[in-house]
Amino acid sequence: MGAPFDITYVFGYLPKLLSTLGMTLLIVGGSLLVGIVVGFLIALPRLYRIPMLNTLARIYVSFFRGTPILIQLFLFYYGLPEILKLAHLDISKAPVLVFVIITYGLHTGAFMSETIRASVTAVDRGQVEAAYAVGMTSYQAFTRIMLPQAMAIAVPVFSNLVIALLKDTSLAFSLGVMEMTGKAQTLGSLTQHFIEAYISLALIYLVVSMTLEKLLLIAERRLLRHEETDSTGHRRFRLEQKSSYRRMVASVDAGKGGTEV
Amino acid sequence: MIQLTNITKSFGRHQVLNKIDLTVQKGEVVVILGPSGSGKTTLLRCVNYLEKPNDGEILIGDYRLNCKHASKKDIYQLRQKSAMVFQQYNLFKHKTALENVMEGLVVVKKLSKEEAKTRSIALLEKVGLGSKLDAYPSQLSGGQQQRVGIARALALEPEVILFDEPTSALDPELVGEVLAVIRKIAKEGITMIVVTHEMGFARDVANHVVFMDGGVIVEEGTPVELFNNPQEERTKQFLKRITPELNYSI
Ligand SMILES: Nc1ncnc2c1ncn2[C@@H]1O[C@H](COP(=O)(O)OP(=O)(O)OP(=O)(O)O)[C@@H](O)[C@H]1O
Ligand SMILES: [Mg+2]
Repeated sequence: MGAPFDITYVFGYLPKLLSTLGMTLLIVGGSLLVGIVVGFLIALPRLYRIPMLNTLARIYVSFFRGTPILIQLFLFYYGLPEILKLAHLDISKAPVLVFVIITYGLHTGAFMSETIRASVTAVDRGQVEAAYAVGMTSYQAFTRIMLPQAMAIAVPVFSNLVIALLKDTSLAFSLGVMEMTGKAQTLGSLTQHFIEAYISLALIYLVVSMTLEKLLLIAERRLLRHEETDSTGHRRFRLEQKSSYRRMVASVDAGKGGTEV
Repeated sequence: MIQLTNITKSFGRHQVLNKIDLTVQKGEVVVILGPSGSGKTTLLRCVNYLEKPNDGEILIGDYRLNCKHASKKDIYQLRQKSAMVFQQYNLFKHKTALENVMEGLVVVKKLSKEEAKTRSIALLEKVGLGSKLDAYPSQLSGGQQQRVGIARALALEPEVILFDEPTSALDPELVGEVLAVIRKIAKEGITMIVVTHEMGFARDVANHVVFMDGGVIVEEGTPVELFNNPQEERTKQFLKRITPELNYSI
């Protein structure tokens, strides 16, 4: 099948594919924004154990964790306009990209909410009490004490999510969005040099993933600078932190593709 | 003056504090003793509303709060009147020693950064940590962390500082340095309520000792009265258990 392998095509395709990298990154960025907002909205009722909403949030998370993203894409693309029609809203003319970003956003939000929940739980409650004791309001205690530490804990999981999302966006072409994978598919069909197109595509994904990972690692280092130790005597705390954090990463990460724990 | 009236607290059906009345004069050092589970921690936590009492009244300085009708705003007001030193230090782990002390001054008291910094440095020097300003809690020993905790409490210039077993999480060789700091500030006339099992400290530093058991104050008085001449059977039992050497002095 296809034309004989020709390495020059790999290089020839790179710029062509790169021209659609913007679209891929737009989907990633848009979904992340939606995902962070949704993640907080879903995490809060679970953190504060608000009766009804808590259950709804769990169902939400189970759904997005327990079903394939491809099916979610189709469900939202075909289903959402039907549901909104009941409310007399016609969105069947909205660009496909909107559906794609909404779906990936809601999907990411489910995972994000678990990350937020686990990270917030991992910051010790005593510090929040200390914040109250010095007279802070709950908002101040959350934003100044809880959030920065929870973020530091969340960054490694967050970077896994971003990279998973980047790779998941390769399914958007099944709804006809011309992002990188879709472009590779098209180029392959035109020239019959499929393998070269996919090698080229893989290279770009790899470089983008690695760059994102590096950037997020820098962020992590910055956020965790308070954990640097200068004397051997006090490593214990750090090790403990690390192991609890590993446990958390494990519990959050294992979930990708699994169901609600 | 601090005055607790009729403070009552239950967790579910388990009554932990039963109509506690306690008055602490300005500048007094009150030590609370009592067996495990007697409600000492809960009482301290009620004073700055980390636990919400079911009933009672709290007066700190000129601020009076009725626990039955406390709004969020009242609670913030009340909390600013007291400061707490925790058994587990509870320092903000993402902030340096200096930032830990400055935090309340900047965020709650709204001081300028420079002013807060000057004041915080002076306090850290006072607790003997002038050389550790930029250390994060993970780089400090337990004793050093607790001294930062004390500086953080002092910074707020509260009417009263509440200490909940400030030395019981420390390695024995570090207890002395923390007690020395608490002694020092006690001498400066800062009002303190201290829960501790350090009997030597209680004898030397306290003006007033309170013995709690089963959610009530069983007996209170001066250290001499309470240690040398306890009236209640429960107090005697407790003292015998915790300080066997006391038997000689009676
Ligand atoms: N958050 C809580 N929920 C339920 N019960 C609690 C809670 N906090 C404390 N208790 C109970 O209240 C009682 C008093 O606890 P408290 O911590 O005040 O005792 P304590 O005198 O400080 O004891 P210790 O000397 O061990 O510190 C205990 O029986 C404890 O189990
Ligand atoms: Mg206690």
